[in-house]
Amino acid sequence: MCANRLTTGAAPRFPTRIAHCDLDTFFVAVERLRDPQLVGKPVLVGGRGPRSVVASASYEARAFGCHSAQPMAQALRACPEATVVPPDFTRYRAASEAFHALLRDASPAVESVGLDEAFADLTGLGADGMGARATAEAIRARVRAELGLAVSIGIAGGRTTAKVTSDRAKPDGLLDVPAGGDAAFLAPLPLRELPLAGPRLVERLALAGVRTIGQVAVLDAGWLVRQFGAAGHALSERARGIDATPVRGVPRAPVSVSREVTFGEDVRDPVLLDRVLEGHAERIGADLRRAGRRARTVMLKVRWLDFTTVTRSHTLARPAQSTAQLAAVGRALRAELVAREGERPVRLIGLAATNLVDEALQLRLEERATPRDERLDRALDAIRERYGGAAVRRGARSRGRG
Amino acid sequence: MQLRCQQDQLHRGLSAVSRAVPARTVLPITGHVLLEAEGGHVKLSATDAETIAITYTIDAAVAQPGSITLPSRLLSDFVATLPREEITITLAERSRQASLSCARNDASIGGMDPDEFPPIPPVQGTGAVQVEPERLRTALEHVVFAAATDDSRPVLTGVHFAVGPESIRLATADGFRLAVYTLELAQSGLERDVIVPARALAELARLLPEAAQPVTMTVNTAQTQVLFDLGHATLIANLIQGTFPNYQQLIPASSTMRSEVAVGEFKQAVRLASIFARDGSGIVRLIASPGTGGQPGKLMVTARADEVGNNEAVIDALVAGDEARIAFNSRYLIEVLNVLTTDRVAIETTSPSSPGVVRPVGDDRYVHVVMPMFVEW
Repeated sequence: MCANRLTTGAAPRFPTRIAHCDLDTFFVAVERLRDPQLVGKPVLVGGRGPRSVVASASYEARAFGCHSAQPMAQALRACPEATVVPPDFTRYRAASEAFHALLRDASPAVESVGLDEAFADLTGLGADGMGARATAEAIRARVRAELGLAVSIGIAGGRTTAKVTSDRAKPDGLLDVPAGGDAAFLAPLPLRELPLAGPRLVERLALAGVRTIGQVAVLDAGWLVRQFGAAGHALSERARGIDATPVRGVPRAPVSVSREVTFGEDVRDPVLLDRVLEGHAERIGADLRRAGRRARTVMLKVRWLDFTTVTRSHTLARPAQSTAQLAAVGRALRAELVAREGERPVRLIGLAATNLVDEALQLRLEERATPRDERLDRALDAIRERYGGAAVRRGARSRGRG
Repeated sequence: MQLRCQQDQLHRGLSAVSRAVPARTVLPITGHVLLEAEGGHVKLSATDAETIAITYTIDAAVAQPGSITLPSRLLSDFVATLPREEITITLAERSRQASLSCARNDASIGGMDPDEFPPIPPVQGTGAVQVEPERLRTALEHVVFAAATDDSRPVLTGVHFAVGPESIRLATADGFRLAVYTLELAQSGLERDVIVPARALAELARLLPEAAQPVTMTVNTAQTQVLFDLGHATLIANLIQGTFPNYQQLIPASSTMRSEVAVGEFKQAVRLASIFARDGSGIVRLIASPGTGGQPGKLMVTARADEVGNNEAVIDALVAGDEARIAFNSRYLIEVLNVLTTDRVAIETTSPSSPGVVRPVGDDRYVHVVMPMFVEW
């Protein structure tokens, strides 16, 4: 049983109860709070440019076949009367933080898996230790009352089943799979509902006549491993409702931080491209400083007009965190790329900090304090934290360079 | 050329000189060892033709003098595998093919014209200094490890020798740490500042245990080369040109905390912590607390690994001054603790971001400065 937690001494062991909490049409719901006139109408959140995609679609729009990640133009052909709202991530992030804070009030271990979804460990909650369902109901009531949002919650014995369950609970529902009933609950469901089952895997198993999760559960695990490697092993376990992956209360240290932008129109102006890279560096730097990490490697990603994508990376002798350093490496990598391929029209440009290490910095003999550009960064971060992202800008970025 | 020598001697000589042979060679002949047979000896020489040359002389019964170069790797591997018996090396007149026989093994190895071997110039200077081999080895051990290994500032890849009338002060610095060892001399016939490649000195340190007599150090008049003469072996290195940083100013003159601990206990605590520090840039944190009310002071050594766990060890310490915390790269601490020969060591600090000083207690010949890591506490 509870392989994922430490139980102390003779304390009774309660069945593991994992909740997957997923906000319904999150971006749309936040926009409707801002503009109640959008309620009940088909709404598409996303840009209007020729390359924009749908970030979120209301249930009314979904009825017309719209869905997220669909090109906006295509969604509008399917549902011409839909209202298109540009995304406002500052607002979404604020709502997301409030949502997560509320979950943390209810459960000792909450693991965020996105702006609008999180796992919460509800094992052993309540006076009798069996209060998972009551806790989930309380979460739903508070999210509705305090944030004005609908959250669907699925409760099961493991993360995978909980995720499948919350999908089934939508919209605005709560579904609680009885303890020990994960496998039975999953059995009749089509295989594609299992998060592990990608389209190719589903297709290959369909050829063998396997269509439901229950059919996978009774397949020989050894055969699955031979067919699909390690994924086959996981698939077999998940299909049988076995998933002891714990809910991580402490966030994982990030492995990489990146920013990229796709231009509405192709860009070949070197000054503008460098400016965009500096903007990326500014945001990546702030993220690194917030997470207490430094980057060993900086990677530039460029997609040309013909969709070919190239990446160039540079590994630093001393891991960097400062905006100035990240930007300098980004510009140098671009210059190197231009020297090789010429100044070509760019469709997308991105910068990534990878190979992250703990922020601790080995000081040098001839330097007695934190380097100057790092102190500047921290001062700017503090101002932005308090007054917002646009409160201060670096001279080079507001005036243009040269 | 024809000679007879003992397998163990030839093996020892080849292992000594082959350390000068570069791992990858542009010039094929630098992958060779030069053998010169004359009188009752064979002199083995090898060089990378860039920074270092090593010669090693062994006893031999030379029936016919001569010389040849043979591929170092092949010859060393072959000789190393032979039984401990007499080896006969024969080279026919005007031939480049040497025959080696030992016990019932025979081999023929192709060589090259000894005249093409890069010349190892004689190092002649106006003065020399003599040092006991064991004392020189101890001095080198205390500093060589702290030399820089990357070439961004070539002077830092060397050991600075400040040869004075009564001492040699050896110093290395790699930008993050500084090691200074003062080697006292009975007398010196040389007063000069030179920078010797640390790599060459690491090889010298290997040769020193075999030396039976004082080592003579000579710098040539042009100040471009240094010769260490061990009697049976010599090492010549090209000096690194440039100005070594003025390191005296980098040694803090004062501190606000001094913590004295047992070297063994401290090393053990840092080693344990370093296991946990592996994932996080190798950070080991030290917290020194002075003793109160008759209680001894203590030094806490801690490390933590993201998502894994942490380690904490407390050792007794004589702490003078304020409570202090400072973080170091565990490798830097272990490397300096490894070379100390005293039982106790003192750590001196002033602030979490100013240099820490490591001094063996009761031995003021050595001082080691190591920069801390800047961490959020």
